[in-house]
Amino acid sequence: MSMLPYDIDYKQRLEAAKILHEAFIKLVEQIKKKENPTLVFPKRTLSNTIYDEERKLLLLGRETQKRRFLDVNEARKFMQTLLMAKIIYDSLISNEYPTIRDLYYRGKHSIIYYDHKGRRREENTWDEQKESDAIIRDIEVITGLLREDMLILSKEKGKLVGKIKLKSGGDIIDASKMGHGAYALEPTPDLIEIIDVDADFVLVVEKDAVFQQLHRYRFWEKHKALLITSAGQPDRATRRFVKRLNEECGLPVYILTDADPYGWYIYSVFKIGSITLSYESEKLATPKARFLGVSMTDIFGERDKKGKLIKQPYLSSKERKNFIIKATPRDIKRAKELLNYKWFRTKQWKKEILTFINKKVKLEIEALASKSTKFLADEYIPEKIENGWID
Amino acid sequence: MGRNTREAFRSLSAAEFFYRNREIAGFSNPSRALYQTVRELVENALDACDSHEILPSLYIGIKLVDPIKSFYKVTVSDNGIGVPPYYVPYAFGQVLFGSKYKLRQTRGMFGLGAKMAILYGQLTTGKPVEVETTPLGSRYKYYFKIMVDIKRNEPIIIEQRVRKLKKKTHGTTVSVTIEGDWSRAKNKVYEYIKRTAIATPYANITFVPPDNSEVIVYKRVIDKIPPPPKEVKPHPHGVDIEMLKMLISSSEASTLKEFLAESFQSIGLITAERFLRDIGFDPNMSPEKLTTEGIKALVSGLKEYKDFKPPRTDALSPLGEELIVAGLRSVLEPEFVAATTRRPSAYSGHPFIIEVGIAYGGKIPSKDEPQLYRFANKIPLLYDEKADVSWKIVSNVIDWKAYGVEFPAPLVVLAHICSTKVPYKGVGKESIAEVPEIEKEIKNAIREVARKLRTYILKKRREEELRKKAITYIKYIPEIASSLAALSRPPTAEINGGGLTAKEIEIMLLHLVKHKLEKIGIILDIETLKGKVKTR
Repeated sequence: MSMLPYDIDYKQRLEAAKILHEAFIKLVEQIKKKENPTLVFPKRTLSNTIYDEERKLLLLGRETQKRRFLDVNEARKFMQTLLMAKIIYDSLISNEYPTIRDLYYRGKHSIIYYDHKGRRREENTWDEQKESDAIIRDIEVITGLLREDMLILSKEKGKLVGKIKLKSGGDIIDASKMGHGAYALEPTPDLIEIIDVDADFVLVVEKDAVFQQLHRYRFWEKHKALLITSAGQPDRATRRFVKRLNEECGLPVYILTDADPYGWYIYSVFKIGSITLSYESEKLATPKARFLGVSMTDIFGERDKKGKLIKQPYLSSKERKNFIIKATPRDIKRAKELLNYKWFRTKQWKKEILTFINKKVKLEIEALASKSTKFLADEYIPEKIENGWID
Repeated sequence: MGRNTREAFRSLSAAEFFYRNREIAGFSNPSRALYQTVRELVENALDACDSHEILPSLYIGIKLVDPIKSFYKVTVSDNGIGVPPYYVPYAFGQVLFGSKYKLRQTRGMFGLGAKMAILYGQLTTGKPVEVETTPLGSRYKYYFKIMVDIKRNEPIIIEQRVRKLKKKTHGTTVSVTIEGDWSRAKNKVYEYIKRTAIATPYANITFVPPDNSEVIVYKRVIDKIPPPPKEVKPHPHGVDIEMLKMLISSSEASTLKEFLAESFQSIGLITAERFLRDIGFDPNMSPEKLTTEGIKALVSGLKEYKDFKPPRTDALSPLGEELIVAGLRSVLEPEFVAATTRRPSAYSGHPFIIEVGIAYGGKIPSKDEPQLYRFANKIPLLYDEKADVSWKIVSNVIDWKAYGVEFPAPLVVLAHICSTKVPYKGVGKESIAEVPEIEKEIKNAIREVARKLRTYILKKRREEELRKKAITYIKYIPEIASSLAALSRPPTAEINGGGLTAKEIEIMLLHLVKHKLEKIGIILDIETLKGKVKTR
């Protein structure tokens, strides 16, 4: 480890390596004391995923699991955990940026052994990437380090435009000078240095196509916005970067998704974290994020108890007829699941979801854009930001 | 053999006798004849030792003496009591038929089988039987070459020599030259000798085969001989008309009640008198005055009368658990062996004892079916296995799965019936008939031993599970050790703390596994453990 290209990388590497070293040297101590080497870490299960209502985050609960070497059911995973930790440790020290697929290949080989009858046997350290990916998640939980902290890369699809200057890998990037393209968010968002921001809010768009339309319309310039797309389910880097913009730069964050249970879940992943990766919520979730739309009341308007229309819909009945799509039974089922999640049990969300279940229709953002980009950019979005987002 | 009571024997033309009986006696073709000759000579040899509680040492040799005519010389030597020289010509050169109706369990048919071999040899090769014998207590060795005068059924002594011995010894060597077929008889002969060795672990058996194959040696592994059977009189329930006629003709009793008390077991004078009155006979009539009708009535009376005591069992000579276990263990080298000798039982007035041994695993090859070793009065039965009652039980009745045996399995079942009258199926005397009493005993005996087998298999399976468990740890040790070694090295030189080598961690982990397993009762050798895993 002589000269490292970037200071920020070097520090991060050393820090992560130290934590890994300390977490696993404990096992050597246990072995020396003739104890069964045991890793204790929070359980990554649905039952141990808890919604913290105060912090508005999905967090791992207090249940822990023990991974012991001398446990018939855990021995293989114990081996895999150590193997993976070693590979990550090695690549931290030798200045590499492996992807999770690289880690899978680096650790995959066969163990040759002789069974109790003396027959020669082979067993792969792991067979599918699914297996090694799960072990990476375990190591994240064991060490409290996210893969980004361990400089493990993953394919990222988040994009950004707007008046913001960043320093990444030693280069200064001006996200307002990207032409028709955009700045692709890097897999290690904590290594990005935010130099200067000139914006009032962040708009996250689920659909890449809508992002591009708004970008070409120079929405971000007109409305002093940072425009981001997650291109579907948000990856970790996008979530992390959105959180940094919200918390470090104090920018409000608005999320624009399709009007269906999947869109709502994307919003909830940004806001409170995902169920499968709840241990990352503290680092990735943006509890203050707001749901901009498209909401059911945007489609159908809102009536009071007497049936009087108190809020006009954004779509005429003719447009509604053209744009709405019939919900599938799967959509309905998913919507009913969402109703069970505590964080969707607010008055407004219940109304949204129940309307969906009643009407059995959904709508894509593209429908609003097809009305006209101008409508979407200058009418719908500003109005909704003004008055009409859901928490 | 009865040298005093000549009237107990009935002479018959030897040739006539031979031709009448050759199929039954097992001399139907050169291959079967070779096997049968070995068998008859070996059984006579063993009887010569067993009956006087001499630990047998047997030599069996088969030599090809005329390759063109396919003549083989079969020689069997024993260290038995020997044959008195004056009796040798009659014992080997005259076919005697029948004997006193004294019953006891012996291997052969009163030496008749051996004479069939001699006759077969003489008829196929024209060669005499050679006998060399030193009777117990004698200091001479007598040598004879004898042929049978087939027409007159008399021995012809071709040659006769005597030699004084320096050392005291005893025993007999018999050589018969016959037309044989070794290549076809081979498997059966080897199998016969092997099974004989199982039933006589107290014998030394050396077999020199004719081809250049290896000499087979079965060493004595136990010094215990089963007690020789006592001769007993027949039980009334087992009588038949022919037998009764014979008994009457050889009896000197003057009254019927005396005749019964003298000729049968379980009948005293009082029982005889009560029985005869009950079935309407005069107890004091002369037995010779019985009519054919009278004999018939007497037989059925004897068979059906309920108040006789059950048959005596001291005529039986079972091998005993110890011998069966020793025999199976030394010859088959299994990992498990157990045996049982059942209490005596009886069918139609004939006492019998069933013995069963089970050998499992070790050097026994796995087969799709149980490997059944049948014995009747210590003689291995090799032919007609599928017709035997034990085969039916072993293959159909016993649910081996319930005893932990999954086929293909290395399972040998030995079934031995000892009886004064073995109920053979058909004339071949190679399979036992399905007599309900016997069937039940065999079944219970097998179940009794199989239960022990099950205990063993279950224990073994549990141990195997534990060993498997040990492997699940051990196989990952190299991987874990090398990973931990890498992780134990600090990331930079500034951080203190020594790394360990993979080897050091490996040894520590192996000890950990060893300790863990010792707690659940498996002792493992660390060195062999290491051998189980290869480091990349």
